[in-house]
Amino acid sequence: MPNASRPSSTAASSPPAAGIAHLCGLLDRVAHKDRQAFADLYDATSAKLYGAVLRILRDRGSADDVLQEAYVKIWRQAAVFDAGRASPITWMVTIARHLAIDELRRQPKGYREPEEALEQMPHEGPSAQDELHQEQDARRLYHCLDTLEEGRQDMVRLAYLEGWSRADLATHFDQPVNTVKTWLHRALKQLKGCLAS
Amino acid sequence: MTQHDDLDMLAAEYALGTLDADTRADVARRRQQEPELEALIQAWEARLAPLGDEAVPIAPGPELKERIEQRIRAIEAEAQRPQAEQAPTQKPEQAATSAAAQSQVATLRRRLVRWQWSTGLATAAALVLAVILAGPLNKAPSDPSFVAVFQEDDRQPAFMLSVDLSNKQLHVLPVSAEPLANKSYQLWIKDDSLGPNPRSVGVLNDDLSLDAGALRDYDPALLKRATFGISIEPSGGSPTGQPTGPAIHGYLYPTGQAGAQRL
Repeated sequence: MPNASRPSSTAASSPPAAGIAHLCGLLDRVAHKDRQAFADLYDATSAKLYGAVLRILRDRGSADDVLQEAYVKIWRQAAVFDAGRASPITWMVTIARHLAIDELRRQPKGYREPEEALEQMPHEGPSAQDELHQEQDARRLYHCLDTLEEGRQDMVRLAYLEGWSRADLATHFDQPVNTVKTWLHRALKQLKGCLAS
Repeated sequence: MTQHDDLDMLAAEYALGTLDADTRADVARRRQQEPELEALIQAWEARLAPLGDEAVPIAPGPELKERIEQRIRAIEAEAQRPQAEQAPTQKPEQAATSAAAQSQVATLRRRLVRWQWSTGLATAAALVLAVILAGPLNKAPSDPSFVAVFQEDDRQPAFMLSVDLSNKQLHVLPVSAEPLANKSYQLWIKDDSLGPNPRSVGVLNDDLSLDAGALRDYDPALLKRATFGISIEPSGGSPTGQPTGPAIHGYLYPTGQAGAQRL
């Protein structure tokens, strides 16, 4: 497959038009089956969704299929998007992420490259945020991730960004799956407590 | 640990993505019926969402947008079909696979009507087409195979068409169809990327067989989404290059849960 290697084109960052209010407006029109709004929504968000999906699947063919599935779902479910409960981009990325993880679980095991995955991971916080409260959320999450024990932060990142399962993490950290489960639960409870404080 | 804690950890691991396939499918189903679980999942999605900003945005290929818009157009065209055409009657106690196949039948009926309208064909023939697709694209052999059944008037299928996407080999199997005097059956493929009109795949031989490599020039992704049709033509095939006689149509559908979710 010619396109299966590293991605060649990279968008520098989300376009400025991808502000929360703008995306909410587009989603509202998409809920009313406005195809121009859908095209605009795709232009404003597809690089973000594709980046998340490709990071998990690492194959353009699968990522293309999943992105299509994600936008079909967005088209169908735009009417149930609730701006009071999630930001539009979080809602959309969440749909795409879960479809990508489901696809990853269907694929045969054994092609993950943990070392490379770890090396790719930036250890600083996010670079560009377009809304103040998102920035605050991010700062708090990163502060709380920093309070986790050594290695646990990597587990959370590998799972969220690379789609790693308990079993993948167990292999990588050379621990029984049940130990990984216990670690994950402890880390998640600690995160929750820290974020609530 | 309380029951609420257990549920919260299930929600957390679902949002994080660490659950295995079966547990994920179970949670995806349960969240539809359990508002508490749904709320816990949403809370975790919100907590973890800033991590998503670490994934570098990457522009998808330019052709993907058109592909997705095409799919949306197809969905809307189907949604506009009258409700009456969408629900064939079938015993509810039938096996799940049968139920899935049945819902695909409904979709096929809608597609049948749509294609007939778009190609100006007058009437539905009393023919039946079943399509089975083996060897799904880029997937492990354990993945569900692809099947679709089109059955009109509860009669036996007239033809089955199976396509193995890994090598693009096709196989036409006549079921109740029989050779017609001075007429030929012709197989067609239609997809928006091929233009507005169906394209001939080939004229069936007198024994109702067809060259197994007739689809070799088509992209597997196209075969997955294309509509297929078999029409009755004058002996030797359509004189115009387009279907002239009554036609029946089918569409390659995946079987199993994974496939059904994609419909």
